[in-house]
Amino acid sequence: MTAEDSNAGERLSLMIDIARCTGCKSCEVACKQEHGLGSGVYRNRVLWLTGEAEAEAEAAPTPAPTLDFLNVTCQHCERPACLRACPVSPKALSKDPVTGVVTVNEDRCTGCGECVVACPYGAIGYDPIDHHAVKCDLCADRRAEGLGPACASVCPGKAIQFGKHDVLVSQAADSGRSAGEHDPFLMGPGTVYLEPLKEGPAFSLAALARRNGPALMDDPDARAQMGTDPTEFPYRHARADRKPNRVEAGGCALCFNCCTTKFHFRDDKLVRITGNEEDPLLEGRVCPKSQLSVQLHTSDKRLTEPMKRVGKRGENKFEPISWDQALDEIAEKLKALRDKYGSEALALFSGTRTGIMVNRGYLRLFAQMWGTPNIESTEAFCSAGKNMAYTLIQGVGGSGNSYTEGDMGSAEMYVFIGDNQAETRPVYFGMINDWRLRNGARMVAVDPRFTVTASKADEWLAIRPGADMALGLALIHHIFANDLHDAAFCESDIMGWSEWRDFVLEKNYDADWAAPITDLPADAIRRLATDIAKADGCVIFGSRGLNQHSNSLQTNRVFMFLAAMTGNWGRAGGAYFNVGAGVPIEANAPMERRGKIERPKIQSTPVAWADAIRTGKPYPLKGLITSNNPLAMWPDQTKAREALESLDLLVHVELFPNETTAYADYVLPAATGIEKGEIGRSNDDRRIVWIDQMMDPPGNAKPDGWIWTELGKRLGFDDVMKEEYKDSAFFWDDALIDNDHMRGVTQKRLHSVPYRWVRFPVADETAPEIETLYLKGTTAIGKPEGHRFPSKSGKLEFWSPDMETKFNGLGLSAFPEFYGEREQLIDGPYMELLEDDGADGVISTLRAEPTINSPGRIVQPSEHAPGQALRDAGYDTELVTGRPPAPQFHAWTHYAWQAQEMWPDLYMQIHPDKAGALGIEDGKRVKVETSHGEIEARAWVTTGIRKTSVFIPIGWGEQQPYHPWRPVNYLTDKAQRDPLSGQTNLKTYLCRVSPA
Amino acid sequence: MVKIDIGNRFLFNLLAIAGVVLVFYALAFSGLGPAWRAQGGPLLYLVAVAGAGLLLVSVVFLIAKRTGLGSPRIWFIAHVIAATVGFVLVSIHAAGSFFEAPAVLLAVLVGLMGLGVWARVRAANLMAGTFATKRGGFAAADPELMGRMRRLIEEKRAVLARLDPNASEALFSVTLGHWLRHPGLAVAYHKLARTEEGLVGARQSVGAAQAWWRSLHMALAGLFIAGLITHIVVVTFFAGYVAEGRDIYWWHLAAW
Repeated sequence: MTAEDSNAGERLSLMIDIARCTGCKSCEVACKQEHGLGSGVYRNRVLWLTGEAEAEAEAAPTPAPTLDFLNVTCQHCERPACLRACPVSPKALSKDPVTGVVTVNEDRCTGCGECVVACPYGAIGYDPIDHHAVKCDLCADRRAEGLGPACASVCPGKAIQFGKHDVLVSQAADSGRSAGEHDPFLMGPGTVYLEPLKEGPAFSLAALARRNGPALMDDPDARAQMGTDPTEFPYRHARADRKPNRVEAGGCALCFNCCTTKFHFRDDKLVRITGNEEDPLLEGRVCPKSQLSVQLHTSDKRLTEPMKRVGKRGENKFEPISWDQALDEIAEKLKALRDKYGSEALALFSGTRTGIMVNRGYLRLFAQMWGTPNIESTEAFCSAGKNMAYTLIQGVGGSGNSYTEGDMGSAEMYVFIGDNQAETRPVYFGMINDWRLRNGARMVAVDPRFTVTASKADEWLAIRPGADMALGLALIHHIFANDLHDAAFCESDIMGWSEWRDFVLEKNYDADWAAPITDLPADAIRRLATDIAKADGCVIFGSRGLNQHSNSLQTNRVFMFLAAMTGNWGRAGGAYFNVGAGVPIEANAPMERRGKIERPKIQSTPVAWADAIRTGKPYPLKGLITSNNPLAMWPDQTKAREALESLDLLVHVELFPNETTAYADYVLPAATGIEKGEIGRSNDDRRIVWIDQMMDPPGNAKPDGWIWTELGKRLGFDDVMKEEYKDSAFFWDDALIDNDHMRGVTQKRLHSVPYRWVRFPVADETAPEIETLYLKGTTAIGKPEGHRFPSKSGKLEFWSPDMETKFNGLGLSAFPEFYGEREQLIDGPYMELLEDDGADGVISTLRAEPTINSPGRIVQPSEHAPGQALRDAGYDTELVTGRPPAPQFHAWTHYAWQAQEMWPDLYMQIHPDKAGALGIEDGKRVKVETSHGEIEARAWVTTGIRKTSVFIPIGWGEQQPYHPWRPVNYLTDKAQRDPLSGQTNLKTYLCRVSPA
Repeated sequence: MVKIDIGNRFLFNLLAIAGVVLVFYALAFSGLGPAWRAQGGPLLYLVAVAGAGLLLVSVVFLIAKRTGLGSPRIWFIAHVIAATVGFVLVSIHAAGSFFEAPAVLLAVLVGLMGLGVWARVRAANLMAGTFATKRGGFAAADPELMGRMRRLIEEKRAVLARLDPNASEALFSVTLGHWLRHPGLAVAYHKLARTEEGLVGARQSVGAAQAWWRSLHMALAGLFIAGLITHIVVVTFFAGYVAEGRDIYWWHLAAW
């Protein structure tokens, strides 16, 4: 490398840490926002590179997979090949003699592409519409304002640093990190790549260069499917047109990370979403979803007018009508429905899209006033089991710990079980990964897939899908058997711990028992148990991988017990985390104004409504107002469609048209977070993030609160569902936070900080936030003195005779008797509901409100096991479902062109051994069948999955604009459910796979 | 983001208009008067001069792009529009004589235009799609290759010290001025630069069409210019040869 052309001390560079990059592509989104780049035009790009760890390939029967990410961007070379190749004189490319930054003058570039050919790093982009080279200039415009490059400002993992080259190199050396050599052609690249931390020849920058990513990520046909230019304002517009003149602080309402963001407006137009660098916790980190949601606000695909169906259900024929007509007609039809079938015949379904304020606020008020118990959110699909487990054990939902350096950051060990946090909450994972790299903490990932989380971990345990409970029990057994538990904590703070101990030991749930069930070596289980027990602070993360099973509640209780028995509860750096900590808000109508409810709720999951809709049993459900997309979300899509066709009234409140829209009688266009004012999602960290209403919805779209208030007005509820409640901020203070945990989370307090969040519980406006709840010697808020935990006893409650009685009422024991799923490659005990959804069932003993519940029983394996019958029929593969990579979130992001550009098609991950045997090639279409239905997807052949499993992500749908696919829930079954929590098994089925 | 550019739609419209004009011309050709058939007559001679002049705008573009004369993008657009109109005019000048030697120039022009359109419409997407597809720069270094690169850079520096003493090898490439002032050194340096490009494997790192379209375009342009000059010289000085015993009715300087 030479330094002849730049002042070496002033040379500017990026430093990219491969150990910290999680491939989330937040930097790509930030770059395109900053520079207004269109589809297919890049200044930076993060490659997913997979392969086998060559060094281990000979030693191990199964080579370890690798998954790393290479951030490709301009290297700002000392001898830039691009610049020398430019035939224009004076050149269209230039190099700053001081900073060394190589820039392109797009107005001089004639678009010949010689620089694109010349660059050996593939780091010169090209705009195929305006015909000129495009390249990173380290955000010259931002630097002129004293800011760093956009990519570095948002990186969730702090994997991108910006600064003077020499300083960065020196910092790396000081922290013991080595920079990868990547100068085979003596170009003198300036960008510093820190080598991966894992040891061996497989883990180096040069090894990455030998690998490839999945074919579906770089498919020109998929790109072509999006059209020549799918972009809308502010992309592909002049910088001057995009320059903001108003910036408002708020947050992202998409996922459970609840990133704080800033919304940049030019007059009334949203031009950019960035992280909030004033947030002392997140420091500007933000994931790709938050940023690219600017495309949801400006999309021309939004629903903008109320519509009434004029064709048959499913035909998608509508006519626009006025709000008055829509709401008047809906109100009249609701009254008629009530007169004929009773008020309980109306079901209300909301959730992800609507936000918590709607679920627990407007909708709850409406349901109470109307008089129906049949109101559900997406909780039954995602978190019912863990929410119920938390409540049973400590009295309230969620962990009491925080994502702070002093709390979570101080752990000695992190264990992810069924939680791919790196892709589902990338900012939180970025923080965890940063802390553990700095502190040397150990990280273990237990997952059937080699997820991004697993790729960063010290150890990956490729567990059999659906076997997590067995693993948890074996860990507990080993700890008890070897007296590794925190005896003092158990004695002082856990109710029923000795009964659990006796049960687990008596059942002999040891590592040797668990090994064939989990398909993990017994020694690995024992080692993990010992490590957890001996760590001075271990955080165990669970998520949908534990929750979305028919043993959801019990599995969560098992891992909660594991954390508690090792003293990892009520301390800094020790916890059991399972996604959102809950948001303790609810609006309540005066008892005397509530509608009369004479019949119990039909089950605790909306999937059970399908039978009531179709058959009228246990009583008829004839109307459904849904703010979600049941026709992608509900398991057993065939029955779900039959059900929706049978309704007397289906009203759909949505942002974008989807599968459910086509079946609706009325479609009501809704508003996003910043178009209505709301809080972010329930998140791990107990932070309530407030989002002001900052802009009007498009066309005649309206906030959900407005819609429910107006509908309520037409039904005579306006004394309770007040006109003022249309103002969500007023509604928040007036109706939602009147409890010990939330009383201090007022609008005034939320707006007193530039990052708009407050961590609950805060009993009043001046109460300090608490970093770690339930510390020894403290009293839980609102509880009697000395009650460390907010449970009735003040202890963590794992077993009591009263609890046993409640569990028995639903056919199970409060002790953690193991059972797995019905459809597996090995036959073990599984859950069977004793009655179908049309039966009267029993009234749930675990719920406050009267709820019809199907009791269940654990069926022991036999030669007639259903799994055996399915395997005999050729269903010989474990299907696992889950979240796609970070830029996608449910269906929302499928309307954003950039998310589709990154991850276009529904895919199925499959191991190369299995793919080879079936004649399946990477990127080709495959057919996937279960005994419940079939779909197609594109193959992603990767060693990062068990040889016996395939993985298909959620979120794709048939009505989506760019890459429509049948949703994965055609493959799932609504009857495989947890009788305790109502959670449906969405994770583990037997399937067969073939080339399409 | 709107740059001064010739967008694909404009390009297609331009070509469509040119095509329509030529189709109308072809349909009307049999009914046109003798002036429209006499390639050397005043009408078609002037048409040819105008057409050739417009086609030579591309040469101006080539020079302007390499000398800083105005905006390269504007000259690029000018070369596309002028070449298209020029093509129409010289096609009219051909007066249906598509099987005589000068018609080769028309064929070359068709090739140039086709290649240009392909580059603008198709290769533009290939270029965009090239981003992040190369791994060569991140690969492990080959000591032998690095040694050759080192020696090559030293050779370049040695030549450059005589070709342009104030220039830096890291940023330098031969310009029109160098070609004119020091053609020998320019050739020597250019060859070294080409060798370096080969060692880096730049053109092998993309598809052949993407790698070589521009070289082919320039080669065809050179061929066309050479052919045009030949044509002008022949009809101007070798009018007798061209007339093959018929009347020499066009302006000429010699009738050899």
